[in-house]
Amino acid sequence: MKKNLFKSTMMALLAIFAVNVASAQQPHVYINPGHGGYDSDDRNMVIYPFHQGDTAGSWESKSNLRKGLALREILQKKGYQTSISRVTNTTADDLALSTIVALCNQSGADVFYSIHSNATGTSAVTNFPMVFYRGYTGSPQVANADVLAADLEPYLYASQTTVWTHNYQIWGDWSFRPEWGTQGYGVLRGNRAVANLSEGSFHDYIPEAYRLLGLQYCWMEGWNISLGADKYFDRLDQYDLGVISGNVRDDRIKRLQENPQPFIVYGDDNLMPIHSATVRLLDQNGNEVQRTMTDTLRNGIYTFKYVVPGTYTVEVSEPSHFSQTAQVIVSANAATYQNFYLKRVRDTPPVVVNYTPVWHEGDPAVKCSTPIILSFNWDMDSMTTCSAFHLDPPVEGTFRWEDSYYRLVFEPVDAFDVSTLYTLTLDKSAEHGGGTAMDEDFTMQFYTQPRNHLSELAVFPYEGAPVHFKTPTVELRVDSLLDTYNLFQRLRVLDSEGNELAWNKRSIKYNKNGDDYGFVRIPLVKNIEVGKDYQLILDVDIADTAGIHLPAARVINFTGVDAGTDKPGMQVVEPFENASDFRVLANDETKNKVTASTEKLFGSKSLQLDYDMTDDSPVHVAPNEFNTVTFTQGDTLGIHVWGDMSYNDLIVRFNVPDTWTFINVPLGRIDFHGWRYMSVPVDKLGEPARFASLVLAHHPEESMCKTGTIRFDNLLKKASSGIDEARLAGMKVKVAGDYIVVSADTWVQGVELIDINGRTIKATGGNCLNVADVASGVYLVRVHINGRTATQKVTIH
Amino acid sequence: MKKLILLLLAAAMLLPAMAQEVEVTSQRRLLEGVEGAAYFPVLNSTGDRLLFVTEGGALKFHDLNDGVTTVVTTYYVAGNDACWGGDGKVYFVTQQMGEDHLIYRTGQCYDAATRKTECVTEPQHGAVRAVSATRGGALKAPQHSYNSASDIGSAAWTEGSRVHVTVGGEERVFSPVDSWAGYLWASLSPDGKRVAFFAAGKGIVVIDLRGQMLAMLGNYEMPCWYNNEYLVAQNATDDGHQFTSSQLMLLKADGTFKTALTTPASMAMQPTCGGGKIVYTTIDGLLYEMKINIYQ
Repeated sequence: MKKNLFKSTMMALLAIFAVNVASAQQPHVYINPGHGGYDSDDRNMVIYPFHQGDTAGSWESKSNLRKGLALREILQKKGYQTSISRVTNTTADDLALSTIVALCNQSGADVFYSIHSNATGTSAVTNFPMVFYRGYTGSPQVANADVLAADLEPYLYASQTTVWTHNYQIWGDWSFRPEWGTQGYGVLRGNRAVANLSEGSFHDYIPEAYRLLGLQYCWMEGWNISLGADKYFDRLDQYDLGVISGNVRDDRIKRLQENPQPFIVYGDDNLMPIHSATVRLLDQNGNEVQRTMTDTLRNGIYTFKYVVPGTYTVEVSEPSHFSQTAQVIVSANAATYQNFYLKRVRDTPPVVVNYTPVWHEGDPAVKCSTPIILSFNWDMDSMTTCSAFHLDPPVEGTFRWEDSYYRLVFEPVDAFDVSTLYTLTLDKSAEHGGGTAMDEDFTMQFYTQPRNHLSELAVFPYEGAPVHFKTPTVELRVDSLLDTYNLFQRLRVLDSEGNELAWNKRSIKYNKNGDDYGFVRIPLVKNIEVGKDYQLILDVDIADTAGIHLPAARVINFTGVDAGTDKPGMQVVEPFENASDFRVLANDETKNKVTASTEKLFGSKSLQLDYDMTDDSPVHVAPNEFNTVTFTQGDTLGIHVWGDMSYNDLIVRFNVPDTWTFINVPLGRIDFHGWRYMSVPVDKLGEPARFASLVLAHHPEESMCKTGTIRFDNLLKKASSGIDEARLAGMKVKVAGDYIVVSADTWVQGVELIDINGRTIKATGGNCLNVADVASGVYLVRVHINGRTATQKVTIH
Repeated sequence: MKKLILLLLAAAMLLPAMAQEVEVTSQRRLLEGVEGAAYFPVLNSTGDRLLFVTEGGALKFHDLNDGVTTVVTTYYVAGNDACWGGDGKVYFVTQQMGEDHLIYRTGQCYDAATRKTECVTEPQHGAVRAVSATRGGALKAPQHSYNSASDIGSAAWTEGSRVHVTVGGEERVFSPVDSWAGYLWASLSPDGKRVAFFAAGKGIVVIDLRGQMLAMLGNYEMPCWYNNEYLVAQNATDDGHQFTSSQLMLLKADGTFKTALTTPASMAMQPTCGGGKIVYTTIDGLLYEMKINIYQ
């Protein structure tokens, strides 16, 4: 026992001693190039000209391996011991996470780098280095994993051959992925080395994906990781050679965005990388020390490896550009970055080689929205070219350059004037990018059409419209077919606080060729609030397929309502629950039908009419048997209608029992979408009559649809007895001093004052009733006009 | 407790001529409500003592007979490759970081009977690994190794792309299959006649004591001998960053039969066998003990 205790004590002392003196040993780095092979989990980034699955294209597994192999090569030169989990890129190399960890542990490595690149996986494109260690941020599970990360990231971020969008980030994986709990990244679980998982950049930033195709770029990431290791092991002063790297780009030509979809670029990535440029490293005597070339993979990267410290000249040449040189200073165990922006060789004066619109005397007039486009033989200088642009008569407009300054587009802010002859002169002061001006002026003319704006035919909601709250539908109709590309972005509904409401884009309907007018119809995703005010915004750039846009933006105010709200005093006289109780009366009854619909406001069904009035005759929806409910003079009829914005007229038809006498009472125009409560005072009935039918009639001037669908729910009646607010035509009741004065569009036959008990307390045969002797209070005034009556509440003071 | 699961997967998964049935007769949570997450379980050969590592990194052992759990060491990650020796002791490695940021590893031996830990190899830079042997244990290291006795009996371990087998004091080294990344998880069958190990990129390999390859059992990880005929292994998939599935597989050592003991969604991993028991953990550190019957 004593012997064992002594031995243990000695071992512990030995441990302390050994830890302090063993620094001469080789650090051991385990390198794990992430993923492996060309499989579904190997992050294939499809970039032009490569297709999905093309192994020559961008794969994270491939670039990770190149970085890893570079790191191994560099670390070995620097005197490290290395282990690596794979040296080829095959499916068999894609080792399981537990295996990688066990291999690292078995190797006895001091540190572990798992090398990756990142992706947002969303449209939010970004590019910056990140590194992870196991544990919470600031509390690594293995001591010093955060130090290793902090030593690495500044070297990655120092790269000037890429374009960073943000500073680097260092995370504990438990903090970064709290939804994973403490599971974390698989290669960090159980790893006994000081372990980092490095996401060097974002491969779904397309210019970065092109860079990651390049061997030299990947090698530089390996170099930068080695500097992180040197920093961590305090070995920065133990290596004598440096590196130079940079990016060769055109100084103004835009990057060719040849991907199937244009991609987002930041900063210098807007400029075109130059292919096959020869890059030479010259010593101070002009002797070539190293030579390399940029590749043809759209990245423009060059790198000189293992350079003896000193002062050098880097010379870049490429036949279509002027050569450039730069003096650089190389330091031991450091990266020197030198980017180049080459000027293109332009050896002739600029000329306009093509233009639109092309118009000659006698040609059809040009659309007022047509942009003026000038194409040049060289990329042009923006300032001198725009200054040389003169339009007569002048038009306010904007310039836009396309194709890397080879094409100038002028668009009028509004539109060209109608029926106007325009003359464009581009005077010869316009210069190309090399500073040479045109030899002579360029002139063109065109004559414009007599129409220069889109006309709005109808819109719902219209100004002041009450809109049923349930996922309202918005529709705009114009006089020609709309350009539907992203059209939904040019209509917006805002609530009273300015919040934009979302469209249900899956239900959007557009015009199509052959339609009588242009339209867009789109519902909101969510309900609006009853009683709240909203605005529909129509942007000015809503345009037809010819580019003719609205004359101005429009703001339309509307209010959310509940069409199905309770109507006091109204009784349901027909619920429209049974479609079989109704029939269609029309010239061609085969084209019209009534059915039950579950799109209802009350009960379980509404009554749906699918109509076809292409023969211009009205369509009746009539009960199979006459309704027993009788309407009398002064009653009010109400009905809930689901409109289709057809602008047809809806009429209620009454029948005098036992006669062939029918009376039509107009309800209103179907100028809305969704449910709406429509009501009308029944004031044409000389004698009691019964509901006979609902009539949909095509209005020869106003109607916009001869076919469509409308629905009906709950037909209501309010009897004229009691406190009836129904009005006779133009009737106005005014309490003026000692009199009640009634006016109307026609002759007023008499006025009665009725108290709250229903007793007539005063009356007159004219339109003025003296109430000077009447006690203050609330009364009813019954007015007689042309044999009809109306009742209104008044307050006498 | 989960129902007993009768796994009649043989017809679908095994070689037709060797139809067998495997029945999971019991499965129970271990240390529920007693310990938090637990990883790297290791059963002793009789299956009554279980090593495991806590979420905080401490190495403990749990006596399955009396239910007592004892701390072996609180050194972080010491238990990740700990093992039971044939002498009933625990062999494990602790590590310290020097001022130069190199990692120095120390071999340790814990006597469960006395509850004392002995430091058996001095701190040294590089790989130090605990190895289980039939009569004891060893700490294999680049500079200073340790054997618990002059004759530790039979043992197997890996180093790089080599499997080392010690029998009767003679050490033999084999490389029966190519594997760039290396070999892992070597173990002797209970009767000491065969060695199973994992070759990265190739899978589980079974050899005899002369290095003759007997079978390749597929690309599964962490093999452990259930008995002389069968092994249990981990079958995990990942997306390059985290595990997407993990299950236990029962593999016949001659390669003629295999079946799943858990579903891929069980996230069961790190199996260990001893005394006819199987113990494993899950992705979130839940320990389970499983018993099975194999019908020929």
